[in-house]
Amino acid sequence: MAQYSSEVDGVFVALADPTRRDVIRRLGRGPTSVGELAGEFPMTLPSFMKHVRTLESNGLIRTVKVGRVRTCVLNRDRLALLDDWLAEQRRIWEERTDRLERLVTDALEEQE
Amino acid sequence: MNPELDLTLERIIRAPRAVVWRAWTDPARFARWWVPAPTICRVERLDVQPGGAIVTQLSDDGLQFGPHLDATFLAVEELERLVYTNAVDSTLRPANPSPIAMTAEVTLADHPDGTDYRIIVRHGDPDSRALHEELGFAEGWGTVTKQLAGVAESEAAR
Repeated sequence: MAQYSSEVDGVFVALADPTRRDVIRRLGRGPTSVGELAGEFPMTLPSFMKHVRTLESNGLIRTVKVGRVRTCVLNRDRLALLDDWLAEQRRIWEERTDRLERLVTDALEEQE
Repeated sequence: MNPELDLTLERIIRAPRAVVWRAWTDPARFARWWVPAPTICRVERLDVQPGGAIVTQLSDDGLQFGPHLDATFLAVEELERLVYTNAVDSTLRPANPSPIAMTAEVTLADHPDGTDYRIIVRHGDPDSRALHEELGFAEGWGTVTKQLAGVAESEAAR
Protein backbone atom coordinates (compact mmCIF):
# COMPACT_ATOMS: atom_id res chain seq x y z
CA MET A 1 0.00 0.00 0.00
CA ALA A 2 2.79 2.41 0.93
CA GLN A 3 4.56 1.51 -2.28
CA TYR A 4 1.40 1.95 -4.31
CA SER A 5 0.78 5.38 -2.82
CA SER A 6 4.34 6.52 -3.50
CA GLU A 7 3.90 5.37 -7.10
CA VAL A 8 0.72 7.42 -7.37
CA ASP A 9 2.54 10.41 -5.85
CA GLY A 10 5.22 9.96 -8.49
CA VAL A 11 2.68 10.03 -11.30
CA PHE A 12 1.12 13.24 -9.99
CA VAL A 13 4.55 14.83 -9.48
CA ALA A 14 5.64 13.88 -12.99
CA LEU A 15 2.46 15.29 -14.51
CA ALA A 16 2.49 18.49 -12.48
CA ASP A 17 4.74 20.26 -14.99
CA PRO A 18 3.50 21.61 -18.36
CA THR A 19 6.65 20.56 -20.25
CA ARG A 20 6.38 17.01 -18.95
CA ARG A 21 2.70 16.89 -19.84
CA ASP A 22 3.61 18.02 -23.36
CA VAL A 23 6.26 15.29 -23.59
CA ILE A 24 3.68 12.68 -22.54
CA ARG A 25 1.20 14.07 -25.04
CA ARG A 26 3.83 13.92 -27.78
CA LEU A 27 4.78 10.34 -26.89
CA GLY A 28 1.10 9.41 -27.00
CA ARG A 29 1.51 9.65 -30.77
CA GLY A 30 4.42 7.19 -30.75
CA PRO A 31 8.01 6.64 -29.59
CA THR A 32 10.34 9.53 -30.33
CA SER A 33 14.09 10.07 -30.01
CA VAL A 34 15.34 12.36 -27.25
CA GLY A 35 17.01 14.55 -29.86
CA GLU A 36 13.84 15.04 -31.84
CA LEU A 37 11.79 15.69 -28.69
CA ALA A 38 14.31 18.18 -27.31
CA GLY A 39 14.16 20.14 -30.58
CA GLU A 40 10.46 20.75 -30.00
CA PHE A 41 10.93 22.44 -26.63
CA PRO A 42 12.39 25.94 -26.21
CA MET A 43 14.94 25.13 -23.51
CA THR A 44 18.51 23.93 -23.15
CA LEU A 45 19.21 20.23 -23.57
CA PRO A 46 20.29 19.81 -19.90
CA SER A 47 17.01 21.38 -18.72
CA PHE A 48 15.06 19.17 -21.06
CA MET A 49 16.94 16.05 -19.93
CA LYS A 50 15.95 16.82 -16.33
CA HIS A 51 12.30 16.49 -17.34
CA VAL A 52 13.02 13.26 -19.23
CA ARG A 53 14.74 11.81 -16.16
CA THR A 54 11.81 12.81 -13.91
CA LEU A 55 9.37 11.10 -16.26
CA GLU A 56 11.59 8.04 -16.46
CA SER A 57 12.24 7.73 -12.72
CA ASN A 58 8.51 7.94 -12.03
CA GLY A 59 7.88 5.23 -14.58
CA LEU A 60 5.81 7.27 -17.03
CA ILE A 61 8.24 6.72 -19.86
CA ARG A 62 10.99 4.26 -20.70
CA THR A 63 14.05 5.15 -22.71
CA VAL A 64 15.84 2.68 -24.94
CA LYS A 65 19.24 3.33 -26.45
CA VAL A 66 19.99 1.83 -29.83
CA GLY A 67 23.43 2.80 -31.15
CA ARG A 68 23.73 6.51 -30.55
CA VAL A 69 20.00 7.22 -30.48
CA ARG A 70 18.01 7.23 -27.25
CA THR A 71 14.28 6.76 -27.82
CA CYS A 72 11.49 7.59 -25.36
CA VAL A 73 8.42 5.36 -25.10
CA LEU A 74 5.25 6.12 -23.14
CA ASN A 75 4.37 3.68 -20.36
CA ARG A 76 0.57 3.71 -20.47
CA ASP A 77 0.21 1.29 -17.55
CA ARG A 78 1.62 3.90 -15.23
CA LEU A 79 -0.97 6.43 -16.31
CA ALA A 80 -3.63 3.85 -15.48
CA LEU A 81 -2.61 4.27 -11.82
CA LEU A 82 -4.66 7.46 -11.86
CA ASP A 83 -7.77 5.36 -12.51
CA ASP A 84 -6.91 3.00 -9.70
CA TRP A 85 -6.36 5.93 -7.40
CA LEU A 86 -9.75 7.49 -8.13
CA ALA A 87 -11.46 4.11 -7.70
CA GLU A 88 -9.73 3.78 -4.32
CA GLN A 89 -10.97 7.22 -3.23
CA ARG A 90 -14.48 6.23 -4.26
CA ARG A 91 -14.27 3.02 -2.22
CA ILE A 92 -13.04 4.93 0.85
CA TRP A 93 -15.98 7.36 0.68
CA GLU A 94 -18.54 4.63 0.03
CA GLU A 95 -17.36 2.54 2.97
CA ARG A 96 -17.21 5.63 5.13
CA THR A 97 -20.84 6.38 4.23
CA ASP A 98 -21.78 2.74 4.99
CA ARG A 99 -20.34 3.15 8.49
CA LEU A 100 -22.05 6.51 9.03
CA GLU A 101 -25.36 4.99 7.91
CA ARG A 102 -24.93 2.04 10.26
CA LEU A 103 -24.08 4.31 13.19
CA VAL A 104 -27.06 6.61 12.79
CA THR A 105 -29.60 3.86 12.06
CA ASP A 106 -28.32 1.73 14.99
CA ALA A 107 -28.64 4.79 17.24
CA LEU A 108 -32.31 5.06 16.27
CA GLU A 109 -33.01 1.39 16.94
CA GLU A 110 -31.48 1.69 20.40
CA GLN A 111 -33.87 4.53 21.19
CA GLU A 112 -36.95 2.56 20.13
CA MET B 1 -19.58 19.24 -10.97
CA ASN B 2 -17.13 17.72 -13.42
CA PRO B 3 -17.49 13.93 -13.78
CA GLU B 4 -13.89 13.54 -14.92
CA LEU B 5 -12.46 15.24 -11.86
CA ASP B 6 -14.96 14.68 -9.13
CA LEU B 7 -16.25 11.84 -7.12
CA THR B 8 -19.88 11.95 -6.14
CA LEU B 9 -21.95 9.82 -3.88
CA GLU B 10 -25.64 9.90 -3.05
CA ARG B 11 -27.41 7.89 -0.40
CA ILE B 12 -30.78 7.90 1.30
CA ILE B 13 -30.01 7.32 4.96
CA ARG B 14 -32.91 6.06 7.06
CA ALA B 15 -32.39 8.49 9.92
CA PRO B 16 -33.42 12.09 10.49
CA ARG B 17 -31.16 14.86 9.25
CA ALA B 18 -30.38 16.03 12.80
CA VAL B 19 -29.04 12.55 13.67
CA VAL B 20 -26.79 12.45 10.58
CA TRP B 21 -25.61 15.99 11.29
CA ARG B 22 -24.74 15.02 14.88
CA ALA B 23 -22.68 12.07 13.62
CA TRP B 24 -20.63 14.57 11.58
CA THR B 25 -20.27 17.25 14.22
CA ASP B 26 -19.98 15.43 17.56
CA PRO B 27 -16.32 14.29 17.94
CA ALA B 28 -17.17 11.07 19.83
CA ARG B 29 -19.67 9.99 17.17
CA PHE B 30 -17.48 11.15 14.29
CA ALA B 31 -14.59 9.00 15.54
CA ARG B 32 -16.81 5.91 15.34
CA TRP B 33 -17.37 5.97 11.58
CA TRP B 34 -14.59 8.06 10.03
CA VAL B 35 -12.12 5.20 9.56
CA PRO B 36 -12.57 1.44 9.21
CA ALA B 37 -12.05 -0.83 12.22
CA PRO B 38 -9.71 -2.01 13.66
CA THR B 39 -7.94 1.30 13.05
CA ILE B 40 -8.68 3.72 15.89
CA CYS B 41 -9.53 7.33 15.08
CA ARG B 42 -8.80 10.12 17.51
CA VAL B 43 -10.52 13.42 16.75
CA GLU B 44 -8.04 16.13 17.70
CA ARG B 45 -10.21 19.00 16.55
CA LEU B 46 -13.67 19.28 15.08
CA ASP B 47 -14.53 22.95 15.08
CA VAL B 48 -17.57 22.97 12.83
CA GLN B 49 -17.65 26.55 11.55
CA PRO B 50 -16.16 28.30 8.53
CA GLY B 51 -12.40 28.48 9.11
CA GLY B 52 -12.65 25.87 11.87
CA ALA B 53 -10.28 22.91 12.08
CA ILE B 54 -10.93 19.27 11.31
CA VAL B 55 -7.99 17.18 12.49
CA THR B 56 -7.93 13.41 12.97
CA GLN B 57 -5.19 10.99 13.92
CA LEU B 58 -5.05 7.24 13.46
CA SER B 59 -3.69 4.37 15.49
CA ASP B 60 -3.43 0.63 15.02
CA ASP B 61 -2.89 -0.13 18.72
CA GLY B 62 -4.56 2.81 20.51
CA LEU B 63 -1.19 3.92 21.87
CA GLN B 64 0.76 5.38 18.98
CA PHE B 65 -1.19 7.84 16.85
CA GLY B 66 -0.11 9.13 13.46
CA PRO B 67 -1.41 11.98 11.29
CA HIS B 68 -4.48 11.44 9.14
CA LEU B 69 -6.49 14.49 8.16
CA ASP B 70 -5.45 18.10 8.85
CA ALA B 71 -7.95 20.36 7.15
CA THR B 72 -10.19 23.40 7.43
CA PHE B 73 -13.92 23.91 7.06
CA LEU B 74 -14.70 26.36 4.28
CA ALA B 75 -18.47 26.48 4.67
CA VAL B 76 -20.89 25.27 7.31
CA GLU B 77 -24.65 25.61 7.15
CA GLU B 78 -26.31 24.07 10.18
CA LEU B 79 -28.06 20.77 9.32
CA GLU B 80 -27.58 21.37 5.60
CA ARG B 81 -24.06 21.59 4.33
CA LEU B 82 -20.40 21.07 5.26
CA VAL B 83 -17.41 21.84 3.07
CA TYR B 84 -13.81 21.23 4.05
CA THR B 85 -10.50 21.21 2.25
CA ASN B 86 -7.06 19.78 2.93
CA ALA B 87 -5.49 22.42 0.66
CA VAL B 88 -5.42 24.62 3.77
CA ASP B 89 -4.34 23.01 7.03
CA SER B 90 -5.90 23.55 10.46
CA THR B 91 -3.59 26.49 11.15
CA LEU B 92 -4.82 28.12 7.91
CA ARG B 93 -1.47 27.50 6.24
CA PRO B 94 -1.58 26.51 2.57
CA ALA B 95 -0.78 22.80 2.35
CA ASN B 96 0.36 20.34 -0.29
CA PRO B 97 -1.37 17.11 0.70
CA SER B 98 -0.26 13.96 -1.04
CA PRO B 99 -0.93 13.08 -3.82
CA ILE B 100 -3.24 16.03 -4.59
CA ALA B 101 -5.52 18.41 -2.71
CA MET B 102 -9.26 17.94 -2.43
CA THR B 103 -12.42 19.67 -1.29
CA ALA B 104 -15.24 17.58 0.16
CA GLU B 105 -18.78 18.92 0.18
CA VAL B 106 -21.47 17.13 2.18
CA THR B 107 -25.13 18.13 1.78
CA LEU B 108 -28.12 16.89 3.75
CA ALA B 109 -31.76 17.32 2.82
CA ASP B 110 -35.00 15.91 4.19
CA HIS B 111 -36.33 12.85 2.42
CA PRO B 112 -39.55 10.89 3.08
CA ASP B 113 -37.37 7.94 4.22
CA GLY B 114 -34.92 9.99 6.24
CA THR B 115 -32.04 12.00 4.86
CA ASP B 116 -30.91 12.62 1.30
CA TYR B 117 -27.16 12.52 1.84
CA ARG B 118 -24.79 13.65 -0.91
CA ILE B 119 -21.06 14.02 -1.18
CA ILE B 120 -18.96 15.67 -3.84
CA VAL B 121 -15.21 15.31 -3.56
CA ARG B 122 -13.43 17.66 -5.92
CA HIS B 123 -9.83 16.76 -6.66
CA GLY B 124 -7.16 19.19 -7.73
CA ASP B 125 -4.85 18.86 -10.67
CA PRO B 126 -7.24 19.08 -13.63
CA ASP B 127 -4.32 19.17 -16.07
CA SER B 128 -3.25 15.62 -15.29
CA ARG B 129 -6.78 14.35 -15.72
CA ALA B 130 -7.27 16.20 -18.98
CA LEU B 131 -4.07 14.67 -20.31
CA HIS B 132 -5.08 11.27 -19.08
CA GLU B 133 -8.30 11.50 -21.09
CA GLU B 134 -6.65 12.88 -24.14
CA LEU B 135 -4.42 9.82 -24.28
CA GLY B 136 -7.34 7.49 -24.46
CA PHE B 137 -8.09 6.58 -20.89
CA ALA B 138 -11.56 8.09 -20.95
CA GLU B 139 -12.86 4.53 -20.83
CA GLY B 140 -11.63 4.07 -17.28
CA TRP B 141 -13.23 7.22 -15.97
CA GLY B 142 -16.42 6.38 -17.83
CA THR B 143 -16.62 3.07 -16.01
CA VAL B 144 -16.44 4.87 -12.69
CA THR B 145 -19.19 7.25 -13.79
CA LYS B 146 -21.34 4.34 -14.97
CA GLN B 147 -20.90 2.62 -11.62
CA LEU B 148 -21.95 5.83 -9.96
CA ALA B 149 -25.06 6.04 -12.13
CA GLY B 150 -25.81 2.42 -11.19
CA VAL B 151 -25.52 3.24 -7.51
CA ALA B 152 -27.72 6.31 -7.90
CA GLU B 153 -30.37 4.35 -9.81
CA SER B 154 -30.44 1.45 -7.38
CA GLU B 155 -30.87 4.01 -4.60
CA ALA B 156 -33.72 5.63 -6.51
CA ALA B 157 -35.37 2.24 -7.10
CA ARG B 158 -35.52 1.45 -3.39
